[in-house]
Amino acid sequence: MIENFLAGSAALFGDPFTIGIFVFGVVGGMLFGAIPGVSMLTLAAILLPFTAGLEPAQGVMLFAVIYCTGTYGGAITAILFNIPGSAENAPTAFDGYPMTQKGQSGKAVGAAVLCSAIGGIASALVMMAATEPLANWAIRNIGPPEIFALVFFGLVVASSVGARTIWKGWMSVLIGLLIATIGQDPVGGINRYNFGMTDLAAGIAFIPAILGFFAVSEIFVQAEKKASGKYQAPKVSMTFPSFIELWMHKIAVLRSILVGFFCGILPGIGATLAAFMSYGEAVRWSKNREEFGKGKLEGVISAETANNAATGAAMIPLLALGLPGGALTAMMVAVFQMHDLQPGPLVFMLSPDLIWIVFAAMFYANLSILIIGVLETKTILNLLKIPFQFLAPLILMLATTGAYIGRGLVLDVMVMFLAGIIGYLLRRSGFSIPAIVLGLILGKIGEQNFAQGMQMVHYDLGTYFSRPICAILIAAGVITLASNMYRAFTSTKTSA
Amino acid sequence: MKKIIGTAALCAAVLAGGSAFAFECKRGEASFDKPGGFPERALTMIVPYGPAGGSGQVAAAMAEAVTELTGIPINRDHKPGGSGTVGMTAYMAAPADGYNVLEHIDDASSAHALDSSLPNPAEDLIPLVVSQVTFSQVYIRTNETRFSDWPSFVEWVKAQNGKATIANVSKEGSMERVTMGFITDASGMQIQQISFDKGAPRYGALLGGQVDALFEQPGDVRNFLDAGQFKPILTIFDERPGAFADTPTHREMGMDFDPLLRFRGFYVHADAPADRVEWLKWAFQRGYCEDSYQAFNDSKFMTVIDSYRDTDGAKDLIARSIDQYREVYKAMGLDVK
Repeated sequence: MIENFLAGSAALFGDPFTIGIFVFGVVGGMLFGAIPGVSMLTLAAILLPFTAGLEPAQGVMLFAVIYCTGTYGGAITAILFNIPGSAENAPTAFDGYPMTQKGQSGKAVGAAVLCSAIGGIASALVMMAATEPLANWAIRNIGPPEIFALVFFGLVVASSVGARTIWKGWMSVLIGLLIATIGQDPVGGINRYNFGMTDLAAGIAFIPAILGFFAVSEIFVQAEKKASGKYQAPKVSMTFPSFIELWMHKIAVLRSILVGFFCGILPGIGATLAAFMSYGEAVRWSKNREEFGKGKLEGVISAETANNAATGAAMIPLLALGLPGGALTAMMVAVFQMHDLQPGPLVFMLSPDLIWIVFAAMFYANLSILIIGVLETKTILNLLKIPFQFLAPLILMLATTGAYIGRGLVLDVMVMFLAGIIGYLLRRSGFSIPAIVLGLILGKIGEQNFAQGMQMVHYDLGTYFSRPICAILIAAGVITLASNMYRAFTSTKTSA
Repeated sequence: MKKIIGTAALCAAVLAGGSAFAFECKRGEASFDKPGGFPERALTMIVPYGPAGGSGQVAAAMAEAVTELTGIPINRDHKPGGSGTVGMTAYMAAPADGYNVLEHIDDASSAHALDSSLPNPAEDLIPLVVSQVTFSQVYIRTNETRFSDWPSFVEWVKAQNGKATIANVSKEGSMERVTMGFITDASGMQIQQISFDKGAPRYGALLGGQVDALFEQPGDVRNFLDAGQFKPILTIFDERPGAFADTPTHREMGMDFDPLLRFRGFYVHADAPADRVEWLKWAFQRGYCEDSYQAFNDSKFMTVIDSYRDTDGAKDLIARSIDQYREVYKAMGLDVK
């Protein structure tokens, strides 16, 4: 493996043009990942036709690098302005933005930079070591029932994130699930709650909803404070997390790598579920759950480690089996095909050079996150010095553009503002915005896999428990649910 | 299900190549005068599906070919969702000035067949070209030991008493679900269809043994066929295409129904200026013949049967498909509006 890696590295850095493509991918991915609405997918779609003129290894490598750095890029705006660049960065905002408000932006951004790099590098190393056996294990053992069980587990944990009481936490999750049912059902294609509006048949898109619930509602909250004279500008902090602070979170990092890797390896799942599941696991294992959603470093660490850990993992089913895990990896299939190649078992035999250039590039791209991230952070943090009256319209303009640009639908802008108003009102009442967003995102994935799973087990729910991984996940979810309920009842009695 | 009648000519038309070609690419005029300077800026192509899927790829390939030919850039605007209805609605609301074109698939025809208030692609739009026409197949894993061909598969499925599974895109009224209905009725077997709307989980389900078979079009699983991982056991087409000469057709296996085809094409508003429409027809029909597009179609198994329809051929294909779907839906007891 080391020999192959060194050969891949030599091929990557032995040609100035290939280096140029690598640097372009690193910087482009970070930039497009950071701007809401204009995601790494936008960049990839723009670049797709141009890859025909590149060598196959250069084209595939470019997309792999964009995937790594684009997944990290959205963390910065999530932390500083409550604007996740893309859905996989939404859990980063849960605690990252409250940290900014508490004057700990440097710590949050520093942790995001470091943990994105750690997650990505770890994932790249596992990818190099065991792509084929892992891919084969995943497709044989993980099907729709297991993915549903994973989502069920995640939803149970979501209820304890950020709400004033566990009941409001559950209400928040249910609101998210309700929103997730809008649009065509994922299996039968039957329209639900679209009130005759064609655009709603596609459902509520994640990005406008996330921008509304996070960015717009936050502007309303801050504007209210400004109007009532209670507004305090966030202090700009350049203090990075210390080594000891990070070392204290080593278990969280390890757990997030595992969760991220597990979610990333599943075809069609990818980094978004990885980040949400990892955040949920951080909450579940914490002794101080009530601190999550209020500016806990572990929240940022968990989300950012996992979403980058998913990038290397998502390459495993793509390269070993030809199964893309998400939209960007699906575009990579097109890059392969443009050069008369097919990702899958044959590519390891026919084009080992290409594979190792890609592996090496992903390793170095994640390393670049660390270097460029540290360099850029000190500059970016100064954006917080912009006065609120200038910053708020800027954020609203960015968010509006981000909401519209994804699908070019005015409906999405309306959804964003409506989510902003609803989010503002719900926050005042002690409901949890993170739990709503978790419900929305996990709800769509969960419903689809539940329906597919039920078809597979011939509508016999008991069969779910005959599948070991599925049974373990459901049992763990039920135990967590019972424990949360018990805790809620006992705390209600105590306070009474 | 009763045999669907009145559409036998459809497959004959497919084999004959519609109104224009049979497999060879007739290159039209090498150039075409721009009517009144049109187009003097980039065209916009609305694509009702994501960039990574079959529609996204064919849209990219055709846009590249037309740009190569004419020098006019084409911006692709993806509006996925609602089985293509979101993109169609957005397109119908776009200015009918010839600068906006639409990519769409046979879903637009089946949607109109079910609900006539939705646009009819042959009447409310003008087809510029249909550039991909393909058939479906049933696949199993090559290393499968429980069955090896269609007869042994049917026998095995029947022995499972409805517990056998096939991965599919089995949304209500879809080509896949309707065709599977034909197959189960004709073969007398019961099989559970598992609906996966994305390709990767669908193919992974077969590779990993989560399902027993897969219903798909050959171009979408070409890499698995080339890698020897999937094997077709049934072709749902009236004749054996040369590339699948060893795979029996549904008719050979005693199933007497007219196959439904998957097709993708490009459209413009019916009320767009006529001279601009003529230029667009030339550009897209000639674009089909560009080497880059032909290479793309070849890589997708889209040259196995004739994939080309000019405007008249496309209208004929769409009209026949709508009639066929409408009859099927009525036979299925669906509420045809």
